[in-house]
Amino acid sequence: MKDHSDEGFDSLFEKKKRSGAKLFAILFFGIIIVSTSVYTYLSVGVVRDRMLVAKSQVEGAAPVDPSLIDLMKEKAWVESRLKMAAGDSVGLSIDLEQHTIQLELKGVVVMNSKIRDFSTSGFFKRMDGNVYFAMFGSPLTIQKFESSIEKNPFKVVIAPKNEAEAEAAVTKKDSIPDENVFWTVKLDRDFELNIQGIDSVAESQSKYKLGKGFEFKRNLKNIVNSFEHIVKFKKPTYTPEILISIPENEAKAILRALPRNASVTIRI
Amino acid sequence: MIRTFFINLAILVVGILFFTSMVLFAIPALQESTVVLPGIAQGESGSGDGTVNQASLEKDISKLQAKLDKLTPADAYIIINTSENHFYLYKGKQLIRQGLCSTGKNERLVSEERNKEYVFYTPQGVKTVKGKQKNPVWAKPNWAFIEEGLPIPPPGDPSRFESGTLGAYKLTLGDGYMIHGTIYKRFIGQSVTHGCVRLLDEDLEAVYNALQVGSKVYIY
Repeated sequence: MKDHSDEGFDSLFEKKKRSGAKLFAILFFGIIIVSTSVYTYLSVGVVRDRMLVAKSQVEGAAPVDPSLIDLMKEKAWVESRLKMAAGDSVGLSIDLEQHTIQLELKGVVVMNSKIRDFSTSGFFKRMDGNVYFAMFGSPLTIQKFESSIEKNPFKVVIAPKNEAEAEAAVTKKDSIPDENVFWTVKLDRDFELNIQGIDSVAESQSKYKLGKGFEFKRNLKNIVNSFEHIVKFKKPTYTPEILISIPENEAKAILRALPRNASVTIRI
Repeated sequence: MIRTFFINLAILVVGILFFTSMVLFAIPALQESTVVLPGIAQGESGSGDGTVNQASLEKDISKLQAKLDKLTPADAYIIINTSENHFYLYKGKQLIRQGLCSTGKNERLVSEERNKEYVFYTPQGVKTVKGKQKNPVWAKPNWAFIEEGLPIPPPGDPSRFESGTLGAYKLTLGDGYMIHGTIYKRFIGQSVTHGCVRLLDEDLEAVYNALQVGSKVYIY
C-alpha cells in the first residue's frame, strides 16, 4: 500500500490557497462594487443638490419667456461687459456661442482668440433661464488660480561687481523651456474655468501619453479625489466646469495678463 | 505560490481598472444624464411677466452696444502684448500696423551691497501718451550704471547723457516709461527692456506719427 498522506496534505493546502484567492477576489470585488455603487449614487445626488440650490436661489422670479431667452442672454452679455469695463484692470470675456475668448481693458478688446474646442458640464446644459441669469448675468470674479506655468515669472539678479562680470552676464543666454500651458480658475459662483493651450490635437494626445498634458493631470486628480472620498466615507464634491482649448501662446498671454482677482464675463 | 500571487495581482489590477473607468467615464456620464436627473431638465413654463417684449429688448441691446462701442477710441491707439512682445496700432476698430516690440524683462536688480533694488517690468493697464519728442537724449538713471558694474556718476555728469540710444523718437507714458527706438535691434521680440517699449525704426516712426498726446496705450 502506498502512503499518500503527504501528497494528500499538500493538495489540501493547495486547495485552501486556491479558495483563499477566490475569497480574496470575491471580497475585493464586493467591496469595489459596493463602494463604487454608493459613490456613484452620491455623485449623481450632489449634482441634483447643486441644481436645487441654484433653483432655490432664483425662487420667486418670473419664468423666462423661451422665445425671448436669446435676446435676454445677448442683453446680459453686453451689460456684463459694460460693468467689467468700469474696472481699471484687464478682464476676460468668453463667448461660447461665437467661439471667442477676449481680453478686454476698459471696454476695448485688446486680444481676441478663436476657441478651438470647448466642453461644459451638464449642469450648464440643464440650467433654466433664471439660473442662467443668476450665474452669468453679471461679471464673475476669479477667486483662485492654478497653472502649469508660473503666472508672473520674476528673476532676481545681483548687480555685477565690474564691467567684465556685466559682460559675462550678457553673453549667458537662457534657453526657452518647452512648456505645457494649462490653467484653472475657480470663480465666485462656485464653478471652474479650465483653459488649456493646444497647438494641435496630436500634440495634446502625445502629452497625454507622456503624462504631461492637462487632461492626464485632471483625470489623475479625479481618480485620487474619488478614492480619497470613498476611503474617508465623505460625500463627493461637484464643481461644474467649462473647459476651453485655445492656441498655447494665447493661453499663456491670457494667463499672464489677468490680475489675480480679474472679472470674467461668460455667454453660453 | 507564484501563480496565486499573479492571480491576486490580476484581481487587484482589474479592480483598479474598474474603479478608474467608473470614475473617468461612468460617473461623469451619469452626472450628465437627464435620465437620472429628470426633475431638473431645462424647460421654461409660462410666457414671462409681460414687462419685457422683443422690441424693448432689441432697443436696450442696441443702446448698450453703442455705449460699449463708444469705449473704443475713434482716434489712433496702440495695444502692447507683453507676453508675446507684439504691438498692434489701431484707428477705431481698424488695425493700421502690427509688429514686434520689446518689453520689460521682469527682473529685480539688487545692488551689490543689497541696499538698493530696481524692478524692471512693463506695467499693465491703460496709459496715455504724455509727450512726444524727436531725437531724444537718454538721461541714464542710476540702475544703468549698476547694471553695467560701473560707478554711479553725480547727477548732471556728462556720462549720464546718451544720444541715439532711444532711436529717432520717444513717446512718454509717465512714471519714466516710454515707447522708443533701440540700437539693440537683434533683441526685438524679446522681453529685455527695463520697462519701456522698444520698437524698430520704421514701426516707431509710424507709431510716432499716428499717436498724439492724449492717445491711449493699452498694455497687457
